[in-house]
Amino acid sequence: MKETKEILKVEGLSKTFKLSAKQQKIEKTNSKTITAVQNLSFSAYEGEIFGLLGPNGAGKTTTLRMLATLIKPNGGDAFIDGSSIVNSPDEVRGKIGFLTSELKLEDFFTPNFLFDFFSDLHKVPDEIRDKRKAELFEKFGIDKFAEVKVANLSTGMKQKTSLVVSLVHDPDIIIFDEPTNGLDVITAKVVTDFLLELKSRGKTVIVSTHIFNLIEKICDRVGIIIDGQMVVCEDLKTLTAKKNLEDVFFDIYRERKGDEV
Amino acid sequence: MKNAALVVFKKEMARFFGDKRLLFTTVILPGLVIFIMYSVMGQAMSSTFDSKDDVFKLAVVNMPASLETAFSPERYEIEEVNISQADDIKKKISDKEYQLFIVFPENFDENLALFNGGNLRENAPNVEIYHNSADVKSGNAFSETTAILSSVEEQLSNVFNINYAATPEDAARYDTANDEELSGTLFAMVLPMLLMTLMYSSCVALAPESIAGEKERGTLATLLIAPIPRNQIIIGKVMALSVMALLSGMSNFIGTMLSMPMLMKGMENDMNNISAVYYSVTDYLFLILIILSTVILFITLISIFSTFAKTVKEASTLVMPMMIVVMIVSFASMYSTEAKTEVVWYLIPVYNAVQSMIGIFSFNAVPVNIAVTILINLICSCGGLVILTKMFNNENIMFSK
Ligand SMILES: Nc1ncnc2c1ncn2[C@@H]1O[C@H](COP(=O)(O)OP(=O)(O)OP(=O)(O)O)[C@@H](O)[C@H]1O
Ligand SMILES: [Mg+2]
Repeated sequence: MKETKEILKVEGLSKTFKLSAKQQKIEKTNSKTITAVQNLSFSAYEGEIFGLLGPNGAGKTTTLRMLATLIKPNGGDAFIDGSSIVNSPDEVRGKIGFLTSELKLEDFFTPNFLFDFFSDLHKVPDEIRDKRKAELFEKFGIDKFAEVKVANLSTGMKQKTSLVVSLVHDPDIIIFDEPTNGLDVITAKVVTDFLLELKSRGKTVIVSTHIFNLIEKICDRVGIIIDGQMVVCEDLKTLTAKKNLEDVFFDIYRERKGDEV
Repeated sequence: MKNAALVVFKKEMARFFGDKRLLFTTVILPGLVIFIMYSVMGQAMSSTFDSKDDVFKLAVVNMPASLETAFSPERYEIEEVNISQADDIKKKISDKEYQLFIVFPENFDENLALFNGGNLRENAPNVEIYHNSADVKSGNAFSETTAILSSVEEQLSNVFNINYAATPEDAARYDTANDEELSGTLFAMVLPMLLMTLMYSSCVALAPESIAGEKERGTLATLLIAPIPRNQIIIGKVMALSVMALLSGMSNFIGTMLSMPMLMKGMENDMNNISAVYYSVTDYLFLILIILSTVILFITLISIFSTFAKTVKEASTLVMPMMIVVMIVSFASMYSTEAKTEVVWYLIPVYNAVQSMIGIFSFNAVPVNIAVTILINLICSCGGLVILTKMFNNENIMFSK
């Protein structure tokens, strides 16, 4: 069908966390380890939006953190535009834009300062940086707040700033964990529209979410993760040919988990 | 292209100098607090010792006529009382109404006249001086009065003098130490400890907040996804923190130095000639290099503890044991103002810095030992940076929940 490049290739990725005594209590388990992601494989193609769908604790964030090289897999590997997340993490970091709620911006600085700072870290030349900054700030309405300290920004404005800062180097692969979480409908729409725009510019976007609606609206393909395993990885149109995504999901979920839903 | 460590360094500097409150609490305030504290202490001490304008009220039994001129009326208000009033007077001394109650034996003058100056007398007349040592004024009256009576007693039995001097200035000629040596001894005793403690506490005030704090707030993770080697982040941070710690330490030091004269005013001594002018440019250069390399070492070590910690609070607890070690090693310098000369001692971090400072302050700096100290500091710091890089690459340390 599509003759496009396989820009992300995930091969049998696994992640097991050790649990401290305190974490055992919180997770209500006696096991010393927890397997968050198990033998996960999928691919994403250039110019598409790929959605990772799964309930809380399914392992979405863990998967994306591995792709962003913040944590290392126990098994398997993934290749981003040919660079291995295990063997050349620095290279991978230069190729992706990563956004997750755990990454915070320093309260003391202004969006303007932070954009420049991260541009410098990514070695973006000044002229290109200024042009990009002007564009992005205008698109997200940050220009009015460019000189306000992050501490004094609203939640939505903070998140928009984080998003913009993650794109200082104009990466070809954009990995966003729950990009619309905590945003009001208007701000959320700005973000989803932006993701579609990135796609139209030929970028590849990987998003994780538990919101069916978001997947239906923007994704080309979707992978459903349950208990750290990829259960379905399919073209969205094919998957939802007969039923809507929600019904499809619950059918699959019941099949795996029995009737405990 | 822009060097990543430099970019991080500049960001940290912008943070530090842009934040007026942080700047005030870490640079201005410590020096100011020390200055005010020491000045007030000096003032309090000098008013304790300085009782020049006090008039002492003395109750005396059997006041000998021969001694009447010894007690000047501007200083002593003498009231002759009867021994039967003893209990009453003693109570008044407790109540600070009188400073002293002196009981001379009867016929004191006649008794002294019998003394021929040759033989020691077993049943020498005893003068009883009741005082209240809990009362500063009474204490002063006691020591002054004892001094007066002792000198009278000495004049009576003067067999020989020791370091006789007509004036206090004249007394100085007996001390062969010149001002330079005096300064050296004093500085070597006090300054290494002071400097080491100030340096360490400045580092502790800054590094945990910058590293554990950023970790706690999730801003360090944002830095970690940038495509730069982690050791660049660390080098940038350690350099920035060292500069801040130096500024903070310098403020403390200036505060201390400015308040020293006031602190010393309280102590009666011949400290007036103590001065730092005797040190050469080389001495100062050595000192600066020692301080610089030691601060870098401290920052690196504290950064390691701070990286281990999940919160600033935890980091502050983790660095305490090292604080104690630094204090003990530095305090030890107060007991020996002579620096070790054998080079092996200079292979021990922290201890070598103290020894080097003692050497510099006592005008006995051995260049080789200073160089070894700086080298050891830098080698240890580099080792620390390697450990830090390993830690920054370890997700269990950086992203533990
Ligand atoms: N650092 C960690 N230490 C221990 N366990 C962890 C750690 N990170 C994640 N886990 C566990 O791994 C599992 C998967 O977590 P993950 O955050 O990837 O899920 P998620 O799909 O993103 O869920 P959510 O929708 O809640 O964000 C969970 O059971 C979680 O508790
Ligand atoms: Mg998640």
